[in-house]
Amino acid sequence: MKISYNWLKQYFSSEVTFNEILEALPLMGFDVEETEIIGPPDIKNVVVGKVSSFVAHPNADRLRLCKVATDVSGDLHSIICGAKNFKEGDHVMVALPGAILPGNFKIKVSKLRGIESQGMLCSAKELNISDDNDGILVLDDSNKLGTPLNDVFKKSDVIFHLEITPNRVDVLSHIGLARELYAKFGGSLSIPSKNNLLDDVCNHVPNSVLNKIDLKADTDCFEYNTLCIEGVKVGPSPDWMKEALESIGLRSINNIVDITNYILHESGQPMHAFDAGKLEGNSIIVRHAHEGESIITLDEKEHQLDRSIVVIADSKKPLAIAGVMGGLDAEVSSSTTSIIIEVACFNPSSIRMTSRKLGISTDSSYRFERGTDPKGLSYAINRALKLIHDIAGGKQVGKVSRLKSNSPLSKKYFDNGEIDFSLEKMHNFIGFSVSDADVKSVFEKLNFQLFPVTKSNWRIRVPSYRGDIKRPVDLYEEFIRVFGTNMIPKKEITISGINTKDHPIYTFNKSILSFLTSKGFNETYSNTLRDYEEFKLLYGESNSDAKFLKLNNPLQSDQTHLRNSLITGLIDVYKLNLSRQNSYSRFFELGRVFSAVNNTLCELISVAFISPIESRDRKWIKREPMDFYSAKSIVEDCIRLLPLEYSKFSYSLVHENHLWQSGHSAKLGCINEHNFESSVGLLNLKNLKSNWGITGPIIAGSILINPEVFKNNLNQVRYSEISKQPTVSKDLALIVKKDIPAGDVKFYIKATIGSLLKNFLCESIEIFDVYQGNGLSEDEKSIALSMQFRALDRTLNDTEVNSLFDALQSKIIKDTEFKIRKMN
Amino acid sequence: MIKERLEDIVAEVESSVGRLNLRSDYDAYKSSITGPKGKLTEVMKLMSQLPKEEKPIIGKEINLAKIKIQNYLSKAIERIEEKELLNNLGDTIDPTLPHSDISMGCSHPITQVRERILKLFSRIGFAVAEGNELETEYYCFDALNIPQEHPARDMQDSYFMPDSIDIASLPKKGRERYLMRTHTSSVQIRYLLEEKPPIRIVAPGRCFRRDTPDATHSANFHQIEGLYVDNKVSLIDLKATLDYFVKEIFGPSAKTRLRPSFFPFTEPSFEMDFYSPNLGKLSNQWLEIMGCGMVDPEVFKSVGLDSNKFTGFAFGMGIERIAMILQGVDDIRYYYQNDVRFLKQFNN
Repeated sequence: MKISYNWLKQYFSSEVTFNEILEALPLMGFDVEETEIIGPPDIKNVVVGKVSSFVAHPNADRLRLCKVATDVSGDLHSIICGAKNFKEGDHVMVALPGAILPGNFKIKVSKLRGIESQGMLCSAKELNISDDNDGILVLDDSNKLGTPLNDVFKKSDVIFHLEITPNRVDVLSHIGLARELYAKFGGSLSIPSKNNLLDDVCNHVPNSVLNKIDLKADTDCFEYNTLCIEGVKVGPSPDWMKEALESIGLRSINNIVDITNYILHESGQPMHAFDAGKLEGNSIIVRHAHEGESIITLDEKEHQLDRSIVVIADSKKPLAIAGVMGGLDAEVSSSTTSIIIEVACFNPSSIRMTSRKLGISTDSSYRFERGTDPKGLSYAINRALKLIHDIAGGKQVGKVSRLKSNSPLSKKYFDNGEIDFSLEKMHNFIGFSVSDADVKSVFEKLNFQLFPVTKSNWRIRVPSYRGDIKRPVDLYEEFIRVFGTNMIPKKEITISGINTKDHPIYTFNKSILSFLTSKGFNETYSNTLRDYEEFKLLYGESNSDAKFLKLNNPLQSDQTHLRNSLITGLIDVYKLNLSRQNSYSRFFELGRVFSAVNNTLCELISVAFISPIESRDRKWIKREPMDFYSAKSIVEDCIRLLPLEYSKFSYSLVHENHLWQSGHSAKLGCINEHNFESSVGLLNLKNLKSNWGITGPIIAGSILINPEVFKNNLNQVRYSEISKQPTVSKDLALIVKKDIPAGDVKFYIKATIGSLLKNFLCESIEIFDVYQGNGLSEDEKSIALSMQFRALDRTLNDTEVNSLFDALQSKIIKDTEFKIRKMN
Repeated sequence: MIKERLEDIVAEVESSVGRLNLRSDYDAYKSSITGPKGKLTEVMKLMSQLPKEEKPIIGKEINLAKIKIQNYLSKAIERIEEKELLNNLGDTIDPTLPHSDISMGCSHPITQVRERILKLFSRIGFAVAEGNELETEYYCFDALNIPQEHPARDMQDSYFMPDSIDIASLPKKGRERYLMRTHTSSVQIRYLLEEKPPIRIVAPGRCFRRDTPDATHSANFHQIEGLYVDNKVSLIDLKATLDYFVKEIFGPSAKTRLRPSFFPFTEPSFEMDFYSPNLGKLSNQWLEIMGCGMVDPEVFKSVGLDSNKFTGFAFGMGIERIAMILQGVDDIRYYYQNDVRFLKQFNN
């Protein structure tokens, strides 16, 4: 909101300086976004002078040595000037020694090329009057010599651009801000007085200008006042009003429209003027729009209306969108002679809804939707009558009509109750004490009425324009705001213990963070909102997640869907670094992803990483490349940090997938069944190459976790006895069909040994060799396992182990198609 | 005679072993002394021809010689073996050559600032809470006293999910919509509903606003929400806590001020500004750093707490904003590009 300092000063005067006001505004809750300076600031020692003669500077051709008079009889000042756009006898602005021009430019007596200059002839720009810097400012001769600058150029002003929070509709006007400054600084507050029209209101009585008013939409229009005037002379506004409106960025239209705008910015009460001659049936009806009705507003745009929108209509058509904008049909123009002035109070939510629905925000709707002062109407109508009478002439027809709604909502809006205030309670709330005199002084300056109950307990009635204050806590807020937050004493923190632990999701993420960074991965942050094209490329057209993940109101075409994997962001990161020729690096991300789980959208915890197989940076010694199995180890270490018994899950090979490389990637767990799922391995080579231009294999891993998992509590692990006896090792090589997973073989051996063991233990079974080729047929492979046995209580002898081993072998021969390979 | 020969052999061994450098040479030499046809063996064979009374004396001499020889040989083989081990180690290292293993990765600069902040609050007893990014309007707005038809709702333009979407884990109260949370304040409601006071939490997390991206706006960004509810929490505690935070993070020379503002879920509400002489381009000016205030009684009402019994304060800060001030980053988008050269700059 823009506030003109000059305009403001009409209502508020005080000893306080401009700079003090500027500093205080943000601390009162009104943030200053910008201060715009118009015209010359208040500068001393700059006066009107007359160039009585000049000669060329003896030492510089481009300079003139002038004799300048600043009063009729007095001495001449000797001033050197570089401009050439003046002649002898011209009136000019002279900055005399002691003047400080904008930009802290101090004028003093100084020598220029060996000759003393006793001041400066100023350009318009140097005085901040305009941008004109072509030569000095030449005035017309009517300006008397010696007149101070600020008397010649009175149009100086400062415009504050204020950010007013939505709760403070009462400050969206010059009087509103004046009230606030008065509360803060004291001084005096002068608000244009009311005449006695107020007593002269009644329900509408038909008159020659307006036959009928009907308030139908009484749930959304709380009060509707009209004032009829005939014989007005519509024309340009007087200069003072034009200047006031233009200073805050408004355009002057004509005197009638300008008056309504002026009052809005003066008092915060929106109003509207209709050309009475353009009303059909001489009537005004405040009603909800009919379905299919439309209106062309003053900005010449057509709007389709519906039943939720309130309009001001005549007997046939809508004339205005209530509280938002007038229509072209009843616009006040130069031919207008009779007018109807509307001053109303509308339901804030109705106006807000209309404004959003139609996409129009005006000075009126902005105030109405924030809740205008229910008692601000009479001020506005009185002020309008006076200003119209003074400026546009005309004669009031009939009385001011006032129609009030009887709806409960309206009653509530006008209800201005009292609040019980206890100083003691406020002390507890703010944590320090203040005197009752301080509190009283603040509240009284805010125009609150205090009704003492006891010495420090009052019933308080706030002015009608302070609809934001309803509860004691709102009074505490007002007190602190005006008293000053700098008055809150300093205090050391005192901490009492509270037994709360960090959330397990946070703890998990923190552990992953330190684990993956220690593995050489760099953490990245990617956007949650993704491009649908990316979904199609990575998951195929038929992916069922997409329909769950689409935003209802995306802003940009490349940010339409929620991410269902962190891998896509990581590919982008990888690609960006590749294209910038950065060194090859590993990346990971921790974050939330979204996925359809059992046919309902679910927010999942996720961690994913990506790494090139091998660094392409040249190194003086070689290191082992990363492969599926190293990625698998990282995934498993991450899973170990979860409260999950992950050994329950088994890996399956991925086939036919857009994201993962078939035959070189695997899946572990299933989010639908286990609340957990992981994918790991090579990313789809062809897809990366054709759609991302990335060649060369990339290893990645991704883990999805349903937050439900973090509700798990794993059982406390209990000690099992560790044998101190020596081990016996046995190796076994099996020839199996190539497509049988090694894990299945191991699982079978483990289970079989388990069933055969009697009084000793099998401590471990490890696969230590996988072989294909010579000596085996095409579709076979050999898997070698090593087993460690131990007894708890004795040295295990070979016979015992051998007999178990024999039994194992005969079972294998009997139960399976595995062939036992002779070990060397 | 034997004695002299023994002395000769010992002397010879003593002088020869130093020249043995290879295991093969050693074996050959050893065999030339102690082998079946070795010099010492030859001498020992003479024993049988000696008169009985000389045998013990000479025998003693032989044993003495044997021990001495063994001693020289042992030293020689020890030396040879050590040399062999050293040879196996390869060339001497050049400690100035770089290793070629993957170095430790770095945590994201936003994570680093987040962790710093959480740690500061952890020291004064705030535990870390988690919320969800996908929320219902109830938790994000309604319960926070931001009703549907209130202009305050415009302060935060939100991304909504279509009405047809169903989220089993997020039950709705009524007909409110699902949206991406616009602030972490939603965690306040979730915590106040689940836990009983005293509550002292900080909740970090990702938030979303429907803003056109530019140097200071990103569709997603991160906040940390703080909430302290107990039966005697007052405004002065709010100020003390946030003063502590600012001085810890920006140094003891930082000044703070509370600028009155408006949030529907706190009353009174403030923006906290700080002012520091040591911030490069941003030195010596008031910088807005977070919103805060005393929990509004309406919020207590919506979670079923008695505002006559409990009071509290809440604050919310943008992590990116603080990171940008601390790290001197002038465009928020750098944080989401993840150029490894950018990321590594913050690796301590």
